[in-house]
Amino acid sequence: MTHSLARLALAAFLAALGFLLPTLLGGSTLVYDTLVAIAIFAAMSYGLDVILSDLGEISLVHTAFFATGAYAAAILTVTYGFGAWTALAGAVLAALLLALVLGVITLRTREFAFSLVTYAAAVVCMNVASNWDFLGGSDGIVGIPPLDLSIGPIELTAGRSAEFWPFAYLLLLLTLYVVHRFRRSRLGQAALMVHMNPRLATMCGLDGNRIRLQVFLLSAVISAAAGWLYAFQRAYVGTDLFETYFLVLMLTGVILAGRRILLGPLLGTALLLSQKSFASLGAYGDKLVLGVVLVAVLCLCPRGLASLWPKVRGFTRRPAQSQSQSPAAADAAPTEIPAASTRHA
Amino acid sequence: MNVAQQLVNGVIIGHAYALVAVGWTLLLGAARLVNFGHGQMYMIGAFVAWWVMAATGLPYPVAVVAAVLLGAVLGAVMQRLFLRLTLSQDLVSLMIVTLGFGQALEGAAGLAFGPKPQTLASPFQEMSVHLGPVWFTVQDAILVSATILVFAGLYLALHRSWLGAAVRMVAEDPRLTTLGGLRVSRIYMGIFAFEGAAVAFAAALVAPRTPILTSMGFDQVVMTFVVVVLGGIGSVLGSYVAGLGIGLFTALFGALVSPAYTTAAVFALLIAAMVLRPGALSASGSFAR
Repeated sequence: MTHSLARLALAAFLAALGFLLPTLLGGSTLVYDTLVAIAIFAAMSYGLDVILSDLGEISLVHTAFFATGAYAAAILTVTYGFGAWTALAGAVLAALLLALVLGVITLRTREFAFSLVTYAAAVVCMNVASNWDFLGGSDGIVGIPPLDLSIGPIELTAGRSAEFWPFAYLLLLLTLYVVHRFRRSRLGQAALMVHMNPRLATMCGLDGNRIRLQVFLLSAVISAAAGWLYAFQRAYVGTDLFETYFLVLMLTGVILAGRRILLGPLLGTALLLSQKSFASLGAYGDKLVLGVVLVAVLCLCPRGLASLWPKVRGFTRRPAQSQSQSPAAADAAPTEIPAASTRHA
Repeated sequence: MNVAQQLVNGVIIGHAYALVAVGWTLLLGAARLVNFGHGQMYMIGAFVAWWVMAATGLPYPVAVVAAVLLGAVLGAVMQRLFLRLTLSQDLVSLMIVTLGFGQALEGAAGLAFGPKPQTLASPFQEMSVHLGPVWFTVQDAILVSATILVFAGLYLALHRSWLGAAVRMVAEDPRLTTLGGLRVSRIYMGIFAFEGAAVAFAAALVAPRTPILTSMGFDQVVMTFVVVVLGGIGSVLGSYVAGLGIGLFTALFGALVSPAYTTAAVFALLIAAMVLRPGALSASGSFAR
């Protein structure tokens, strides 16, 4: 009991510290812009993280969910003049609808085939978005109004980055909470069992396809909510949302720190975007860095930077303590994507 | 609409798709590697050919050879990087790593060649052939013949040569290949180098048709993904037929229905095929046929 209370206090302390982070870092516009971007893109990455870490699949269509959220927000506010809350509801519904269609289509595909089909779906979405006038075509949709989430007398509006920070931060905290709860929920546990041992899951009376679909829907909502906020922050949506850059950012963010670590995608995204903001090498240089980081992580330490931690500890302590690695290794084991043993199945 | 001209266009585009796809097909068949960096390798091939002509003034054929050589080197670099993942057959990680590789190539090319569009000037692009109601350029004719030669050569090499037998063995079972006394990593090196060389060759032949940009990797090559997957994983003849079929489909769909939605239509077809016949993706037995 005291243990969980201590954890709660620590989480509350970290959350408060996180909120003050831009002030602690000097509070310049660049700091605010960067941290807002980190919060939004980290929230986006958690959508993919749920699929990658808990379902063990790699979805390449999550940029489309992110874009769906952004496009829904843009269309509802600009074309139809609705408020931000309606836009959020619309973004969630649109993402659920798209995820339902894609989820049903991809239900029977696994691993390799799942990734290929989701990639193809992302290309279709992108092609449709850049040609359908309703979605703004190749010009996109401009003139999204400032964020206004006022409820009755409580005024909640945001224009500039500093004003935007509380909203982006809140979205991030909410996303973290949802992912945390999900991992402890019946659905989260079931998803892990379906991933790790499908036969056992079936024997326990779990419907694997149903669970996969539910997790897919949840992940789409997470990414779409991030897209919704991104539309307001940028005041513009366009087909660039579908670019491979966002996909690679998401994947690298999730993989960089390590899979199935709650703060992993946040740390990964923070590292990548901080480099882009504070140590930028120009647009091309940043692309090069992002690509090299992804290749290096997967080729050198496929389990992410966190997997190096036991090794570092192993260096500093005596080898006699090497047993202490085993719990860490056991933790890491379910996170590994199983190699395709079904090569010739 | 000039149906005959559309058919000719379709055949030419189809051969272009097939030629761009050939290296990827072999790579996918033999190493199970979905190379999302293929488009960026295509872009590098086109830019190297352009750079050789622009910087040294050497003629186009020399530029083609230079692009092919550099492409082979790039493929070899890829093999060095991805060897561990290839050997452990961690297919999905391999797929992601190629996405990163592509990003890195695009960034590097942007730094090296700049953001401006360029033209890879082939002298054959200016010469055209008129046959009754249809016309095409000499470049197109070279492209079609080269594609047929490459496919025929690859097919024969895989089936009639010792090297082809080794490649098929690696595709079937890398561990067994080791027992057979062959160095699997050497064979992978050859396969990756072929992928790099083939896509650079394709780029040098196809790129003169349009201006080239360092950001073109995705758009120019996205159809190749369909050719490779729809052709049946690793099937050489399959990807030739798929390339031709998709070329004709895009030409006719573009002329009759809507040029803008061609990509969406082709990918929707692909999704339907993959979902309805998931067995086609498991690839056992279809390699090298």
